[in-house]
Amino acid sequence: MTSLRAAALIFLILLIAMCAWASEPLGFDLRGKPITDLAGPGIRVVVLIFAASDCPISNRYVPEIARLNREFTKRGVRIWWVFPNPEDRSSTVAQHNHAFAITEPTVLDTRQSLVHLAHVTTTPEAAVFRSKGNDLREVYRGRIDDRYLSIGQERPRAQQHDLEAAIGAALADKPVPPSGGPPIGCSIVPLQK
Amino acid sequence: MTRIRSIAAVAALAASTFFLRNWRESTVYSANPEPSQESAAASHSFGRTARVQSQSAPTWSRDIASVLYKNCATCHHPGGAGPFSLLTYADARRWGPQLMTVTQSRFMPPWLPEPGYGDFADVRRLSDHERDLIKQWVLAKMPQGDPAVAPAPPRYDADWLMGKPDLILKVARPYTLPGGGTDVFRNFILPYPLKETHYIRAMEIRPGTPQIVHHANITIDRTGGLRRQFPNDWQNGVAGMELMVDAGNRFDPDSHFLFWKPDTPALVEPVGMPWRLDPGNDLILNMHLKPSGKAETLDAEVGLYFTPDPPAKQPMLIDLERDDALDIPPGDANFVVEDSLTLPVDVDVFGVYPHAHYLGRDMQGWAILPDGEKKWLVWIRNWDIDRQAVYRYKEPVSLPKGTVLHMRYTYDNSSTNIHNPHAPPVRVRAGNRSEDEMAHLWFQVLPVNVQPGAPDPRLLLEEAWMRERLRKTPGDQVSLYNYAAALAGEGKFPEAASAFEQNLNQSPHDVRTLTALGAALEGAGEWQQAQQRFRSAIDAAGTDSSSTCDPRFDLASSELRHDQPEAAEDFRTEVATCPEDAEALTGLAQIEIEANQSTQAIQHLTAAIRIDPFLANAHEQLARADAQSGDLPGALAELEKAAQLKPDDAAIHSGLSQVLAASGSLQQAIDEQRTALKLLEDDADGWNNLGVLEARTGHVPAARDAFQHALRLDPQHSQAKSNLARLQSQN
Repeated sequence: MTSLRAAALIFLILLIAMCAWASEPLGFDLRGKPITDLAGPGIRVVVLIFAASDCPISNRYVPEIARLNREFTKRGVRIWWVFPNPEDRSSTVAQHNHAFAITEPTVLDTRQSLVHLAHVTTTPEAAVFRSKGNDLREVYRGRIDDRYLSIGQERPRAQQHDLEAAIGAALADKPVPPSGGPPIGCSIVPLQK
Repeated sequence: MTRIRSIAAVAALAASTFFLRNWRESTVYSANPEPSQESAAASHSFGRTARVQSQSAPTWSRDIASVLYKNCATCHHPGGAGPFSLLTYADARRWGPQLMTVTQSRFMPPWLPEPGYGDFADVRRLSDHERDLIKQWVLAKMPQGDPAVAPAPPRYDADWLMGKPDLILKVARPYTLPGGGTDVFRNFILPYPLKETHYIRAMEIRPGTPQIVHHANITIDRTGGLRRQFPNDWQNGVAGMELMVDAGNRFDPDSHFLFWKPDTPALVEPVGMPWRLDPGNDLILNMHLKPSGKAETLDAEVGLYFTPDPPAKQPMLIDLERDDALDIPPGDANFVVEDSLTLPVDVDVFGVYPHAHYLGRDMQGWAILPDGEKKWLVWIRNWDIDRQAVYRYKEPVSLPKGTVLHMRYTYDNSSTNIHNPHAPPVRVRAGNRSEDEMAHLWFQVLPVNVQPGAPDPRLLLEEAWMRERLRKTPGDQVSLYNYAAALAGEGKFPEAASAFEQNLNQSPHDVRTLTALGAALEGAGEWQQAQQRFRSAIDAAGTDSSSTCDPRFDLASSELRHDQPEAAEDFRTEVATCPEDAEALTGLAQIEIEANQSTQAIQHLTAAIRIDPFLANAHEQLARADAQSGDLPGALAELEKAAQLKPDDAAIHSGLSQVLAASGSLQQAIDEQRTALKLLEDDADGWNNLGVLEARTGHVPAARDAFQHALRLDPQHSQAKSNLARLQSQN
């Protein structure tokens, strides 16, 4: 298993580009405005937190994401909440964000293009990108920390802060350690075809 | 415009897919019915499996809805304790993958006991067939089937499940649970506001925000002690996992598990087994709260349903425990503690409540019957405090006297125990914080096969239990006090006095122990010494007037028993200091009756009965006062109430007989007197009275028999002698 992880890590480094074309917005904000730029001036690292308004484990991470935002916001990191589920429409998410006092920017991933680009399956799950100009290179994908080992197997508090370590490494231009375990939470609901 | 470069792009597919699949195989979380593109190989076999199974795949309408409604919907409905609803097909489809995951791992429905180790009611464990149905349905992409064959969803629209309660208690102030952080354990104090005693046949707890409440436990604080400990801020609740509350100084053991978990919001007691609330009692609602991600306001309320009938059966909670032995080294994954208790009486066991904190892993409880048979009472192989519960047996488990109850708990204080609150692990001992540990196995038992006239069998249980605790922790003050109190209750006064003396060595000015010692000495016939102790207790109470209530009441009662004139003054002081003391009002009234002051006596007794309508002595004394003032129907009614409350009290039946005779109902009077004599056969006066009644109704042989019976019991009984002589001279 160790050698496989090492192999995967090499692939993380040998990134191959995928492009999102200018005509395709990445998602929409809560007022329905298209979002075409996740980074912006001065942003070196972009973090996407995939979430669902009705997923209890996803919701329990709101305070932790707020903590990370406080920690990193002045260091060139932009954290986005991404809501990919079809039932999470703008009014639902606006209400949810109000109830949970979420202040970080939010994307409605109505076409699940961010889901596919980041290759996530779960809420909550994080993806971390290094930003160079308009290019975002994904350097981490996976769990936020090790608080949950499976549904029903929960530590009193996390011991390994995978996402925090990934953001730190990305900022320091160091190799980003892969996630120490699978993301635990709720499946992202597929779009009806 | 942002361009995104992904990790798992095409060239990385093979390795990263394998990587992901291995992860997914290592966790119960995986079942995405619409596999994403990167797991093409997996999706191929997934699809093939699904096609094979789809011919006979379960459907929501035909197979799944009924399983969810029966096993999940009690929590998973809008507004319920579950985090989402499972009432509709859309709901089930939304959560299908998780349903499969959590039912396969048996995380849900929450049920810890191993099957076959205790036959419990309301078992939540899914059958293998039900689990398999859910799995097959999810793998078949969750078909709805024909909606027409789906069962009607259950309704959860009632405010209170059992209708409007007789009394609703609310927390003094709403409590706000922060959105993040670790679990919170908090105790909310709900004072019982009524001025009279009530028996409770059922209770419902409405936490306000049930989604954040793991479980809740109610303890009755008979003395309001916890509220007094926090005079300024008890309204905000008190932090802590477990609390020890003062049980007062009457033998009044806890008798019921007042436990709430999300799927059993209403707690209905067995017929004849209500529990009691007296004026001045507090309910302490201990809640285990789990942060949800956002600040939540908790506004709990408790609904109580009364019954006019006092308990016909008196259960008791007893506890195997080894807190004293908990000293768990860091890294020890297999730390074992054991305890046992030999039952001094026959009991029926109604329920069991295993309890540890985060290090507990394997918890076993069993009984060895006198014939050597081993009977399992509970076994939990993978303890999880988040899902703790009281388990009630389908049928009470009968255990004869001499049975030995056993517990064996195993703790895991290694870093592989994911619940371990410490990383790295540290040495852990017993305590009431969540990072401390506990080792308790509670049973609700009902003593059975009790001989009429035998002492309260709960006292024998208490004595055995406390003796065992003292063996484990010699000198423990609480155990020693309770042990002595049990001996006193059984009438073993000299032994009780000696045990209380031992207790006093450690705390010579303890008001309660001084009072209890006085009572034991009084029982042993040392009444002068007893009164000295009561006075010492009053002195020790100093300016805390409420602490003088018990010793002064005991002093006044002792003085009354020994015809000392000070009794009247002491009862008056007692009533002035402790106006809600129904027994003191009754004692004062007794003196007033002796002094022919029936008007005052009736006034005091009416007040006593308002405070405690179940105080048999108050009804009995009111009957005397009524009779004294010439109100025979009133006297009769009061004695009937007293007899209802204490059907085994010979004196009450005797009193009834006398009032009936005075009212001219001679035959009924004879019946009551015979009932009294059945309860107290060696009462010479009673036989003499029966003889008089028989003679008055012309039953000469029966009268003769009764007088002769009295004389056999007491050959010097002068009235019986003269009555017999008179009877013989007349016939």
